[in-house]
Amino acid sequence: MTSANPAGRPPRDPGLQPERTALAWNRTALAVAVNGVLVLRAGLVGSAPLFLGVGAVLLLAAAGATAYSSVRKRQLLRAVGAPPTSSPTALALAALVTLLASGAGIASILTIR
Amino acid sequence: MASDEWPLANAGAGRHPQYWKPASDEEHQMQNPRWRQQGEEPDYRFTLANERTFLAWIRTALALLAGGVLLHQFSHSLGPRWVVVALAVLLAVIGAVLSVIAYTRWRANEIAMRTGEPLPFTLLLPLLAGFSLVTAAVIAVLMVFG
Repeated sequence: MTSANPAGRPPRDPGLQPERTALAWNRTALAVAVNGVLVLRAGLVGSAPLFLGVGAVLLLAAAGATAYSSVRKRQLLRAVGAPPTSSPTALALAALVTLLASGAGIASILTIR
Repeated sequence: MASDEWPLANAGAGRHPQYWKPASDEEHQMQNPRWRQQGEEPDYRFTLANERTFLAWIRTALALLAGGVLLHQFSHSLGPRWVVVALAVLLAVIGAVLSVIAYTRWRANEIAMRTGEPLPFTLLLPLLAGFSLVTAAVIAVLMVFG
């Protein structure tokens, strides 16, 4: 699987792994952005500045995930031999952002009207 | 064999000849917890599939959360209100729980692949399907009788 062809390059990946992985990060960024907008709306409707702040953080996180998707794609495309494995830090951050969004969501449901 | 080449495999290699710098000790600790040093590095396609599975669970969590918040913010003609609020909170709480499970499951899968054990069994899928069904049923009842 990792045997190099005559040109000394790794064989083309038939599963398009880099592209699929980058797209998965992109879709996740989109889902984070949707929740960011919803929290922002809660802040505007209930005039609660805390939610405005959390919404802004979530939108920034969505931008970060989008950036990471292209970083990850480049990493994977550039790799010769075995590409770098998943970063536990990036994945833990994604889970933490989701937890933050959930906290804000629950708080907005319970406190705004 | 030109069509077998990975066209961008070496893109930027000139600019960053040493893309994988040896990590400093601190970076090493962050990126390489102890479980990452045991067992064998699995086929990279499997690790990437595991990363995408994690992301799919995160999106599921975010979708449930968005569903709960949307239900609360936009369903003012549905009643009784306390049922709507309870359902919205439940959806958001399940989103929070799923975000934690997504990470622990990713980690468990990663360890299983490294040590050659079978992947951990999970009841998550039937539970999630059942919960989605109940949610849809409750909303349908609220729409008809609420």
